[in-house]
Amino acid sequence: MPSRLTKPSVWLPILSLVLVLGGWEVVGRSIDPLLFAPPSAVAATLASLLATGELQAAAQVTMKALFLGYALAIIAGIPFGVLMGALPRLGDILQPYLYAIFSTPRVVVVPLIIVWFGIGFEARLFLVFFWSAIAISVNTAQGVRHARPDLVEVARSFRANRIEMARHVLIPGAIPFVVAGLRIGAERAIVGVIIGEMFLQIVGLGGVIQKGSVELLPAKMLSAVMVIAVLGTIIVTMLDLVEKRFQSWRGEST
Amino acid sequence: MKRRPNHEVRRDQLIGVAVFLTVWEVSAQAFDKPLLLPPVSAILAALWELLISGALIKALGESILLLVAGLAVASLIGFICGTLIARSKTAYWMLNPYFSALFVTPTIALVPLVLVWFGFGFTGRVIVVVLAAVVPILFSVASGLRDSPDDLIEVARSFGVKGEIQLLFQVRLRAAMPVLMAGLRLAAGRAVVGMAVAETYLRLGGIGGLIKSYGAVFQTDFVFAAILPLSLLGIAIVTLISRFERRLHWT
Amino acid sequence: MTNATIRNTHPPAIELKGIRKSFVLSEGRNARTVMALDGIDLAINQHEFVTIIGPSGCGKTTLLRVMASLILPDAGDVLVDGAPVSEPGTKRAMVFQTFGLFPWKTVIDNVTFPLMVRKLPAAKAREIAMEHLVRVGLEKFVDAHPHQLSGGMQQRVGLSRALATGADVLLMDEPFGAIDAQTREFMQEELMRIWQEEQKTVIFITHDLDEAVMLADRVLLMSRGPGRVREIIDVDLPRPRTDYDVRVRKNFTETRSHLWNLLRNDLVEQRAEETT
Repeated sequence: MPSRLTKPSVWLPILSLVLVLGGWEVVGRSIDPLLFAPPSAVAATLASLLATGELQAAAQVTMKALFLGYALAIIAGIPFGVLMGALPRLGDILQPYLYAIFSTPRVVVVPLIIVWFGIGFEARLFLVFFWSAIAISVNTAQGVRHARPDLVEVARSFRANRIEMARHVLIPGAIPFVVAGLRIGAERAIVGVIIGEMFLQIVGLGGVIQKGSVELLPAKMLSAVMVIAVLGTIIVTMLDLVEKRFQSWRGEST
Repeated sequence: MKRRPNHEVRRDQLIGVAVFLTVWEVSAQAFDKPLLLPPVSAILAALWELLISGALIKALGESILLLVAGLAVASLIGFICGTLIARSKTAYWMLNPYFSALFVTPTIALVPLVLVWFGFGFTGRVIVVVLAAVVPILFSVASGLRDSPDDLIEVARSFGVKGEIQLLFQVRLRAAMPVLMAGLRLAAGRAVVGMAVAETYLRLGGIGGLIKSYGAVFQTDFVFAAILPLSLLGIAIVTLISRFERRLHWT
Repeated sequence: MTNATIRNTHPPAIELKGIRKSFVLSEGRNARTVMALDGIDLAINQHEFVTIIGPSGCGKTTLLRVMASLILPDAGDVLVDGAPVSEPGTKRAMVFQTFGLFPWKTVIDNVTFPLMVRKLPAAKAREIAMEHLVRVGLEKFVDAHPHQLSGGMQQRVGLSRALATGADVLLMDEPFGAIDAQTREFMQEELMRIWQEEQKTVIFITHDLDEAVMLADRVLLMSRGPGRVREIIDVDLPRPRTDYDVRVRKNFTETRSHLWNLLRNDLVEQRAEETT
């Protein structure tokens, strides 16, 4: 990216925000409040939801399922990925299933999850955990399998044993892939937790949206959407930064 | 690098599938709880029924129409906004933050709003697909056009290509093709999810609606039988695009 | 030069006896066997500088990897100082075309890597590595990561790593192939100086005729698959060659054009095969 285009500008985003909010306010006021909420109404709702603590409580419920499911996905996903990478045959055999599950939209699996896990916390946890774990393990396996052959040869030529090979070549080489998997897994986990809250158990931030929809309170829905967007942005941006840090580790020399 | 020969991989995978299906069938028969785990044979029977009754074809047709319409609109919007973002600093700083926020917001969270604002006719459903798919396309257009190869543009200029529009179509877009295709592949994957979300949120037909209606009456064998073609549809679209993508790999 | 006396009292630094190596290439369903080395006999003397040149696909890289025991031959023996070997050893060290630096290690950690593998105490390893990095003028970059260095600098790290092992034999696989032309000439001089000072044995693959002749005591020309040694040519040019421009010497141009004529025939044949 040429710096000319991406050089940070403070005024343009503010100007754009003012334009968008202003336009929205004008349009919003002229439409039925049951359908559309101007920013002033959203701000008021957001403030009252925060004052009553409803939003914080909802966010806490969401975060609990999100972090527990994601942590489990990391704990299970990385070792499983290492296993698949170390045993290429196992990886090759499992890959089609993982790929198929991963490409299946989760909303359509909801009926199956209901019959298997019910509609409680475990069911939501599974929605967060499973797809996130697949993303992490598939990327980890790729990292382990894609060790740079020239560096493997360097280590062999200097008589490195298997442990040294793993420590100095295979594991550091796999880390950028693992981190990429962690980022994709986090995105999946965020979507998973919201699906669970909207389709399984009407709780958390997803539940706030769903309730707002039933009560015909667009301002309430928008408040929850905003909180989700902010939380999502924070989590993904943090992992993006981590990923960038490891970018040079991937670098082929010429 | 542990890359194994293709025919060996395929052989192992075939054996794996055979073992997997057999184990499933046998254990499902023994377990005997078709609500939780219907045997493979029951799922295949359900799939057959869906096929000959025409319900599956009809649902798939609706879904594909929605998908194509959504991707087309998303491509158009993505192309226009992406070009703007790539070529103008003002557009970049005025538009980019919203699209970035849209990218990390789960589409599902926006669906109730779309329902309230646009209803859940075809328009509303297309909008859901567009919301899911537009950002990868837009980002790929923006980054593809931003990283235009200066050397090729100079070559084109020296051979008489004139004007921004001509340069756009003769050089910039062509050079950006691999990036654009990668964006489209990502978008297609997300569009399938958006399609399923749109069709599942209310029982509205399409393959998502079909799954939802069988789920509501706990016919698990039919749920599996309807999920299968949906997964295949998603995989097929993404595979198709990556095939095309690989052909482009002159870079 | 006392090459003759060295030859009499010492076994060759590296000796190959009847080396054969073939690979199975699988292209989808049909696999075919490619003969990479077809009976190579060769002795490389102590402190000798030998360059290996030949058309691509002639097996020169395979030959070097067999010498490093990174690949085991199907038949034949590799002898180092007269003793047969079957795995990589401390008397030989490789320098790689792609530099082979670990991108996640700093310059100094890359150089100490082989010493750590040999269980040298960290302080001692660091001291040895520093010494070699100073010699190639990289003392200011010891804590940098490879991607922060230019290609020439990266390969100086690769060279330091090989030298720091204290190996007598350097096996170099087109080490300067990925480096720009001017830096390459500078590196060639540096290598010759080090070779002369430290009395190393160097086996050096290249695809550059000038480089092959300029550096070598002997140039080994390989012919395209089945991999055989076509000819070994003595280069009769005075050393140190860093003091003058060898390329203006008559011997240089004659040796170079002799090699080119041989190589050219191979390339013409190759092109004829490719177009039919």
